[in-house]
Amino acid sequence: MMNKWDIPGSTEKPTVNKDTETLRSDLLTLNMGPQHPATHGVLRVEIKTDSEVVAAAIPHLGYLHRCMEKHCENLDYRGVIPFVDRLDYLASMSMEWTYVAAVEKMLGTEVPRRAELLRIMTVELQRIASHLMAFGTYALDLGAFTPFLYAFDEREKILRLFEEVSGARLLYNYIWIGGVWNDWNDEQLTRVSEFLDAFEPETRKYHTLVSTNKIFIERTANVGIVSIQDCLDYGATGPVLRGSGFKWDLRKNQPYSLYSEFDFDVPVGDGERGVPGDCWNRYIVRMREVGESIKIIRQVLEKLEPGSIMGKVPKIIKLPKGEVYVRQECPRGELGIHLISEGNDSKEPYRLKVKSPCFTHTSMLPLMAPGQMVADFVATIGSIDIVLGEVDR
Amino acid sequence: MSYVVPHNSVKQYFSALFTAVKTTVVGMWITFRYVWGVKVVSIEYPEVREVLPERARMRLFNDAQNCISCTQCAMACPVDCIYIASEKMPEGSEIKKTSNGQSIRLKLTQFTIDTALCCYCGLCTTVCPTECLTHSHDYEFAQYTVDGMKYDYLAPDVRAWRDRIVKT
Repeated sequence: MMNKWDIPGSTEKPTVNKDTETLRSDLLTLNMGPQHPATHGVLRVEIKTDSEVVAAAIPHLGYLHRCMEKHCENLDYRGVIPFVDRLDYLASMSMEWTYVAAVEKMLGTEVPRRAELLRIMTVELQRIASHLMAFGTYALDLGAFTPFLYAFDEREKILRLFEEVSGARLLYNYIWIGGVWNDWNDEQLTRVSEFLDAFEPETRKYHTLVSTNKIFIERTANVGIVSIQDCLDYGATGPVLRGSGFKWDLRKNQPYSLYSEFDFDVPVGDGERGVPGDCWNRYIVRMREVGESIKIIRQVLEKLEPGSIMGKVPKIIKLPKGEVYVRQECPRGELGIHLISEGNDSKEPYRLKVKSPCFTHTSMLPLMAPGQMVADFVATIGSIDIVLGEVDR
Repeated sequence: MSYVVPHNSVKQYFSALFTAVKTTVVGMWITFRYVWGVKVVSIEYPEVREVLPERARMRLFNDAQNCISCTQCAMACPVDCIYIASEKMPEGSEIKKTSNGQSIRLKLTQFTIDTALCCYCGLCTTVCPTECLTHSHDYEFAQYTVDGMKYDYLAPDVRAWRDRIVKT
């Protein structure tokens, strides 16, 4: 049917409804992902949109499922390490250490002091690299391209150090049962301290460039708010929980390894901009954690003394019958490894269950999303900093 | 839930606008300083190549002359990408020695690594008793077919290939 104003030469004007606000359209289903630059991997989020407003968001997982847990049941205990590397491929060192700690706890291995210190140093360097990646891609999600390049420039220096020590840039297989594979020599340790000296002014630059930028604050402050109670109900950990203002860090609250010797703070979202629990506070917790990691690494470099890097481990590892659950503070939250051994001279784990922090945080998306604009939803996904390799396993 | 950022007054509106421009200019100034005096960090890859660290784990290489067919590497491999076959030495043949003095008692008939399956974890190199299986520094081995990724280390041209990739 043709309208009057469509007829050529007509002077009729279309009438405008004054009460457009009260009109309700049907919900439109929009698939975000699996191939989408803002979903940080192959995550598909099914969004129900009411015009530009998100009414509901349902995450669909499983696009990166690699059967890792089942596969580990057919591998010897050393062969599992390359597989746990591929969980959170941006923080492989933390993944390795959690798994290795579980095996060592069952085996009763005593790890030499130098190996423990080197582990803490590599894991904290990895935390810096992982948070730099989170910072760069978060700025990229919100339309700022340059911070991404600055972050990758610094991350590259850490990866280069890891490559020299372990031989690989991303999937290291460096932390072994009983110790670490290779020792750091003095020249590499000097380069670590030089890197830290040069990196500290860089973090201040990031704050000037991004954290205090008015446009960035408007995009992230008061967006995607979760309360402490919701975080605890869902079991959120890491920067998401601390961003809501809850001071919980396993390195401080239940110190494992040698973390009780170190002096560092646990940054929480204090609502300096926005309110605690919003995207800006989750972001700033990560940036402040980088500073704390620098503090820890400096103390490690002071404490390091020459010594053995490998404890006494049998050539073929056979665990006694039993089970163990070990959790550690990884860059994205608490990673838990539940390892069951059936004994009977078995060289393979009976079951290896991974409790993934990113999985918990992804399941919080339906809670955060309703009422947001679609563009704010992108900011919300970026702020929880998920890695899909860990979600799907 | 408001979709528009509320501004209570005209003054507040302009002050927010001013802060936005000011903080952006401060950020732009940091970027602007990169025009001069900052060292270029990227390299033009095919012409300029980075020197890999000594421990870098690239394509595997087996020096078949030193291999004693112990199959420890195949057992350590988490993805089972190493195929080894061996048979008894013929009667009366002379027993050779490896470079570190172990005697070779089995005749190696097949040593193939499927590089497409390999996960470059390095576990096989750590268990090798004669240190004949090592990671070389060769990282350019794209192939047109998956079969091309299977490397037979008993092939006659392997010595020339070794001299090309293994720098000692």
